[in-house]
Amino acid sequence: MATKRTTWEKITWTWRPASEREAGDSIVRNFLLHWFPAKVARESLSWGYSFWLGTITAVLFFILTITGVVLMFLYVPSVERAYLSVKDLEYTVSFGWFLRGLHRISAHLMVAVVFLHMVRVFLTGAYKNGAAVNQNRPLNWIVGVVLLLATLLLSFTGYLLPWDQLAFWAITVGTNIASAAPLVGDAIRFILLGGNTIEQGTLIRFYVLHCFFLPLLVIVLFSYHMWRVRKDGGLACVDRLALGQKREKSPPIKAKTYSLLGVTSGMTVHVETSLVDEDKHTVQSSPNLTRRLALVAMLTTAVASVLTLVFRAPLEEAANPAVTPNPAKAPWYFLWLQELVTDTTFTIAGLTINGALVGGIVIPGLLIAAALVWPYFDKSTIRSVGVWFAKERRKQNLIFLLIVLAILILTVIGTYLRGPYWNFYWPWESWPEAPRKF
Amino acid sequence: MYSKDAIKIYTLGAVMLFVTGFVFWDHTAPEWQGYQRDFRAMVAKKFGAARAEQVPEGLQQVWAKDLGRVDRCVTCHQGVEWKGLEGAPNPFKSHPQEILKSHPINQFGCTACHGGQGYATDVDAAHGRVEHWEEPVLGKRLSDLYLVKVRKALMQINCNSCHRYDRETKGADFINEAKKIVQEKNCRACHTINGRGGVIGPDLTFEGEKSPEQYDYGRVSGVKSEFAWHVAHFQKPKAMSPDTVMPDFNFSSREAQALSLLVMSWKRTKIPTRYIPGATPKDLPTEAELEKERQMMAGEGAFFVKKGCFICHSVNSLGIDTAAKIGPDLSDAITDVQSRFGRTLEDFLKNPTGTMSVVLSTQIQLTDEEKREAVEKLKTAYQRKQEQQAQAQKGAQQGLQKIEQKAQPKR
Repeated sequence: MATKRTTWEKITWTWRPASEREAGDSIVRNFLLHWFPAKVARESLSWGYSFWLGTITAVLFFILTITGVVLMFLYVPSVERAYLSVKDLEYTVSFGWFLRGLHRISAHLMVAVVFLHMVRVFLTGAYKNGAAVNQNRPLNWIVGVVLLLATLLLSFTGYLLPWDQLAFWAITVGTNIASAAPLVGDAIRFILLGGNTIEQGTLIRFYVLHCFFLPLLVIVLFSYHMWRVRKDGGLACVDRLALGQKREKSPPIKAKTYSLLGVTSGMTVHVETSLVDEDKHTVQSSPNLTRRLALVAMLTTAVASVLTLVFRAPLEEAANPAVTPNPAKAPWYFLWLQELVTDTTFTIAGLTINGALVGGIVIPGLLIAAALVWPYFDKSTIRSVGVWFAKERRKQNLIFLLIVLAILILTVIGTYLRGPYWNFYWPWESWPEAPRKF
Repeated sequence: MYSKDAIKIYTLGAVMLFVTGFVFWDHTAPEWQGYQRDFRAMVAKKFGAARAEQVPEGLQQVWAKDLGRVDRCVTCHQGVEWKGLEGAPNPFKSHPQEILKSHPINQFGCTACHGGQGYATDVDAAHGRVEHWEEPVLGKRLSDLYLVKVRKALMQINCNSCHRYDRETKGADFINEAKKIVQEKNCRACHTINGRGGVIGPDLTFEGEKSPEQYDYGRVSGVKSEFAWHVAHFQKPKAMSPDTVMPDFNFSSREAQALSLLVMSWKRTKIPTRYIPGATPKDLPTEAELEKERQMMAGEGAFFVKKGCFICHSVNSLGIDTAAKIGPDLSDAITDVQSRFGRTLEDFLKNPTGTMSVVLSTQIQLTDEEKREAVEKLKTAYQRKQEQQAQAQKGAQQGLQKIEQKAQPKR
């Protein structure tokens, strides 16, 4: 029943569902929210368990889509005009510098946050199935790994578009690493570049991948990723609650047998979500989940915007294949690979180890392969599902952390401690002054 | 829980409001607006409020499309094309008018000559005083830095982008001096320049194309720049590269600076030909065509070549050929005109009809004297034709006899 409201009340409306039913309806009926459960475990709303890294990623992807679509109106993917159009963005387009800056910062943040999200999922053993039926968390982990790779590729393809020296040479380094792959290396490079050199063919290829195919892949996989989370009964920490519940010997959970008109096999997602005693462990999604979602979205946007103001997007000289900047660096998230390439290139007894192959292809290839299959080798019990640093998984967590640490250290070295000729410079050592024309 | 979340949301809302506010403020108060305000105030004081009203507002630019340059310098330098602001302070000063007559701003822009970053709309970036921009404004600041006595001397490097093949360019004293040195000291003895010269030293044709990183600054004291390297190298070649065989020419610092500007100006430029003096594309006749014309000029029919008749007509009997063959052969014009028009040749040339009336009144205007000469020559041509025909007949008869003689023994 509509009550009369003043204008002030209309502007400052608050959402206070009067009943559980009204709260649940507000989720189910809302298109944007309907993929959330009506009730959600308190545990999965906590800041400390998930750090909301997946949600932050999604928000960043949303920001990237919005800013990216606007940028598409302003950017010209041609070698003659790309650089010019980015200069125009910086100097003449209204809010153009902010748009480009926000897009760039969000992209960098997304790479970092996706990586942290993966670290979190590993350390909490969240890729493991719990006690409930029809769970397939290992599959979702694999989808996650592919999403990480897609994110890296998205960022990498976007890196070329400004067509300045930074872009051109980062892509040169990146694609040269790819060409070190045995047998197919040169073919991969040729396909990536659309030719043997970075030219118009490369630019349009990267542009179409960046603006259409990769985002499409991410959207499809992301949707499946979310659907699986729901299907698997929410975050893995809920499984832990369910386990604890069994120990307490609480009465069995009321069985609900909804079926989706026989379209899908098994029980509906709703049944899966009620692993735990609803009264004891869950709260209404509206407004508890939605409010936190809003908070995370706002926090992400605010942080990305402030960072945009602080760190202006760089734009170097126009791309010039004849002049190699010194040092020429890959994008920062590939610098651990570039560093690895350097560190694995050495000569023993006249035999030169090909660093590009070992450091650029074999090691990252093995790491990705290991990540993809690891859930099937992890034989720890369901007691370590959704638990930070579970005792049972101590050894594998340690090894995983060491790998993460190694990647981070190599990245830091490559980013901050490598100067001209890839020589090592401590932060307090200044690089030799770069000469100028005048 | 509700109240705590509310505080967080309001805080974040405030942060986002601040960011929005900042970005919007940044948009509404750009650096150049202050200069435009000052310019308008100055114009109002000098020329009255009505004139000040006409000063354009907002971002201004010159788009020199053929040069691929967009120069927004005129956003602040609004007085560039005004008259009467010669004495005004920069950035409002009028540009010297003389040079603009041959280098109009709408075709050349600003940075093609002055250097700087035309895209940019703030002071430091526009003058190229930022990282990652290799073309700073070549003005007083840099001249002072390098102790170049003439304020605008460095700019001449850009004159030579188009004037590269001039021996002398008005106003480019440093470049002119350097070009003279290149001739006098015969740099081409060792260096190839523009495709000519020796091979002892490096080819200098595109020396300006090198990037600053390609020089060794280990022995340069002071500013580490390509220009400084060149100046030091010209003054004492061995001091910069100990193994060089280039002799020390005892160049003065002015000469060394001039030469540095010259070699640094030798770049691969993408400049439309119409910007390059003397580089008009031409459709020249081939060597064979010229030789033919020379031969025709030497013979009896030279008149028909000189007057341009041979463009349409051949005069076979005098050895005059036409490429076009539009009109009839003039060898028997004497009789031909008579049979075609029922008039004598003299009469026809006085009062031509048809195509010839147009040609003889516009493209080929003959004096009476020349008309007489034409008739005279054509009579000769007719005579020659008769002779040639007679000779040919004789020749043919002889030939026939020969064939008969040859054929008889077979019978």
